[in-house]
Amino acid sequence: MLLLRLWNFLRGYVIIIVEGYFLEKFINICIRRQIFLWDIKRKSNSTMTLKISIKGFKAIRPIARKTSCRVRIKGKRGLPFLLNRYRKRKAFAVGAFLFVALVYLLTSFVWVIEVSGNERIKKEEILNSLREMGIKPGVLKYGIDTDYLVNGLMLKNSDLAWVGVEVRGTKVKVEVEERILRPEMVPLEIPCDIIAERDGFVTKVIAKAGQEKVKEGDTVTRGQLLISGTVVADNQEKTTGLVHAIGEVYARTWYEDRQPVISTIQEKEFTGKTKKDFTLVLFERKFKLPLRRNRFELYETTTRRENLRIGEYFVFPFGIIIENHSEYRMVTRRLSDEEAREITMTELYEKVLLDIDEDAEIVDVKKDFIEENGVVYARVSIECIEDIGMKREIGGN
Amino acid sequence: MGVGKRRKKRDKNNTEGARRGLREKMTEVLELPKEIVLNVPRLTLIGMSNLIIENYKGIIEYDSSRVRLNTSLGILKITGNGLVIKEITSEDVMVDGDIRSLEFQK
Repeated sequence: MLLLRLWNFLRGYVIIIVEGYFLEKFINICIRRQIFLWDIKRKSNSTMTLKISIKGFKAIRPIARKTSCRVRIKGKRGLPFLLNRYRKRKAFAVGAFLFVALVYLLTSFVWVIEVSGNERIKKEEILNSLREMGIKPGVLKYGIDTDYLVNGLMLKNSDLAWVGVEVRGTKVKVEVEERILRPEMVPLEIPCDIIAERDGFVTKVIAKAGQEKVKEGDTVTRGQLLISGTVVADNQEKTTGLVHAIGEVYARTWYEDRQPVISTIQEKEFTGKTKKDFTLVLFERKFKLPLRRNRFELYETTTRRENLRIGEYFVFPFGIIIENHSEYRMVTRRLSDEEAREITMTELYEKVLLDIDEDAEIVDVKKDFIEENGVVYARVSIECIEDIGMKREIGGN
Repeated sequence: MGVGKRRKKRDKNNTEGARRGLREKMTEVLELPKEIVLNVPRLTLIGMSNLIIENYKGIIEYDSSRVRLNTSLGILKITGNGLVIKEITSEDVMVDGDIRSLEFQK
């Protein structure tokens, strides 16, 4: 039904009032002559309204005469009539045309270059390479040779394993895949020992090269020799040779710290006052809109960038940067006993965690509070199992 | 004489009825659309407010409380309130409104 109505609207139709005494005859003749009628409503004994296509309307005069009915136009609906009305407004037509032309013009340039997939390589580096090959915001998007760009990028940057370039709308999408780094070479010709990086209680020793100097259950201190690179051959001369020691020594380690429980805390309190700064971005140029300069003494800023766009890919070179400054002031707040302990403990725990190596496995965490000379301390003790080995060259420092 | 005439008429009715029966059986066996083979109107009534009549012959009378259509079976009278001819072509009529009754008048 909706489709039919849309079709009728596009074709245009006329609402007419038919007056006479042989209305049924009028309808019958119309139908016999293939004139389509719809929404026929009887208004009174001798009148009815109906809808009829423009073409049909032109053909009903003879029928009206034949059935001695009078036909009056009540309304004209549809696109043809609308167009007819606007035909005389030249400026409107010119404006509509200019709009379409402008949209077409603006969407034939590249406005945004998107780089994804890069981790080690900086985005700027890729953008610079592209710029050297003539691709930057503002160039015509037609005639961009993506194969040439792909090859160029691959040649310029040896760290790239794969590059894909795609032009969609006003965007150039560059997808890269970085080469996997070569593993670090072990300098086997340089002899070295493995010593303890920190104190601990040895749980496992795996020596791949060199001689074990500690065993499971030993307590070691920082700097102690764990795996020796000086190997004594098990023969009669007891000759010694130097090797590059390789191995892992796992040990239980403890990280401890304490901190007095704080009673007050400095907090940001937002006053609720905000000010906005706007910056217009037109064709990569930024125009700061002059606004009141006097800012707050203390404030936080959030920045948002909005771009004019149609869908995801048709981005226009017009945008606005909104900086929202919200004022805050520092407030000193007294903490309740419980809250104070919790905050101190969390802070301390995070501080201790910073010292722990990423590869270490945390096996136990102890948290408690102790009182000493009237001061309450928070105490954290974390037990880990980790590789405590560290290489040291023999004969070097 | 009178008796003979009457019998003759009855006979005619019988043969007519037999032919119609045969046609109906044929359409049922061959699964043909009945309204076309038998040349009878097809009425589709949706609820109380939307009636589509296919295979009609013409409008005899139309106003907001009564529509009479000519069909091969006779006159179909539709009564109701606020009846509107929503669409009309040479094959079908769509009548909208508060439909109260349908009646075939021989």
